[in-house]
Amino acid sequence: MPVDERELKSMLGGEDCKIMAGGTDLLVRIRSGRLSPSRIVSLARMKGMDGILDLGEEVSIGSRVTMSELLKCELIAASCPILPMVVREIGSPQIRNRATLAGNLVNASPAGDSIMALYLSNATVVISGVNGERREKVSSFIKGPGRTTLSRDEYVGAILLEKTPGYFPQFYKVGQRSAMAIAVASVGSLISGQEIRMAFGSVAPTVAVPEKACEYFEKAGEKFDDGEFARLAMLAISPIDDVRASAWYRSTVVKNLVQRTLNVWRKKG
Amino acid sequence: MKIDFKVNGRDYSLEVREDMRLLDFLREELKLTGTKEGCGEGECGACTVIIDGKAVNSCLVLVPEIDGREVITVEGLERDGRLHPLQESFIEKGAVQCGFCTPGMLMSAKALLDGNADPSDEEIMEAIEGNLCRCTGYYKIVQAIRDAAGKLRNGKA
Ligand SMILES: Cc1cc2nc3c(=O)[nH]c(=O)nc-3n(C[C@H](O)[C@H](O)[C@H](O)COP(=O)(O)OP(=O)(O)OC[C@H]3O[C@@H](n4cnc5c(N)ncnc54)[C@H](O)[C@@H]3O)c2cc1C
Ligand code: FES
Ligand code: FES
Repeated sequence: MPVDERELKSMLGGEDCKIMAGGTDLLVRIRSGRLSPSRIVSLARMKGMDGILDLGEEVSIGSRVTMSELLKCELIAASCPILPMVVREIGSPQIRNRATLAGNLVNASPAGDSIMALYLSNATVVISGVNGERREKVSSFIKGPGRTTLSRDEYVGAILLEKTPGYFPQFYKVGQRSAMAIAVASVGSLISGQEIRMAFGSVAPTVAVPEKACEYFEKAGEKFDDGEFARLAMLAISPIDDVRASAWYRSTVVKNLVQRTLNVWRKKG
Repeated sequence: MKIDFKVNGRDYSLEVREDMRLLDFLREELKLTGTKEGCGEGECGACTVIIDGKAVNSCLVLVPEIDGREVITVEGLERDGRLHPLQESFIEKGAVQCGFCTPGMLMSAKALLDGNADPSDEEIMEAIEGNLCRCTGYYKIVQAIRDAAGKLRNGKA
């Protein structure tokens, strides 16, 4: 187990090795036989990568910060309120005491709840490796379900979130049970006067952003029509049938949640 | 590899297997079989233990990770042969039926009460959200935790 970033860098790459943060995805996948890395590099004894820092326009979240720590952080609550809203819905207290934002991101599941907050916060991923550091927007970092641009000898050091205190945050997740549910569909948004940011979970190969609908929201002015907004929003999704829900059910849920988002925002404004 | 850690107040310094789950280590090596395995994937909470004050699923922790840390299992609740108020209340309020979920429930409840002496029912429900019980329907468990919180506040512990 590496104790600092220098050691971590020297241990990565080469053979089939996997980084473990909270292990809440990795150990489940290993147990079910879907993954059998020859070596696990645990971040448990690392120094650093555990801070939440105020960078002015952005907040930096270290890769070892747990979901529970995020929920307790006043800086996050004040400057990125969408994040705790989403994180509160993840797993159980036991899972949140171990799970990390970086693990959720690198896992790149279309149902990854916190990834939605990262899209809405225009997040930047800070990636380190033997060849130095590079930065990438979350939308280009994630390439598909379970796929990112991370190469074998790289790791995520931190994630930077744009502060969004002036936006009205909303997050709705429909699952099968209230607790512990992996989402059947989820809709998150940030709205400020003229701008809307919106993202959908579990209804496309990755978290989906309804760009056409967002543009329409910003340009339509007086002529704004909820139906048209919803129609454009639905162009962003490609839901599938699976064990948890049918595609038809998923689209219906998204449509309803989009409408609810507009309703709640109006009532508030 | 060799690690140093504490379990239920006792110090250990042991050679451990790097790929062993904390759950198996507690049960097989330390013979602390109170901690149960239900699902093995973080869903049921039967394996819940407390590490450095936080409730976690021991089926999703590898032993080397407890190096330098303190673990409390259900066996660590009892003091000098006396049951912990949580254990008493679970029995008194009928919150134990088959008992399989009980050790995990107790640990989630302890983690809650250690940080919040007077939780609301909602906070209690939230704390045991990751602990499944097939028998009781949760109501009696919530009652028992509320009852134990009262006892602890009144210093009857
Ligand atoms: C019972 C249960 C319920 C769950 N509920 C939800 C839920 O409601 N919503 C949800 O979104 N998820 C849920 N999850 C999934 C999981 O908890 C999250 O995805 C979590 O955020 C993963 O974080 P971790 O630190 O445990 O990741 P790990 O399991 O440690 O790692 C996950 C992946 O990321 C890689 N990785 C981790 N850290 C780094 C790093 N710093 N650099 C590079 N690669 C890294 C690992 O190699 C691995 O491939 C649940 C899981 C369980 C078991
Ligand atoms: S056995 Fe660990 S959560 Fe079920
Ligand atoms: S008492 Fe049987 S599972 Fe809870």
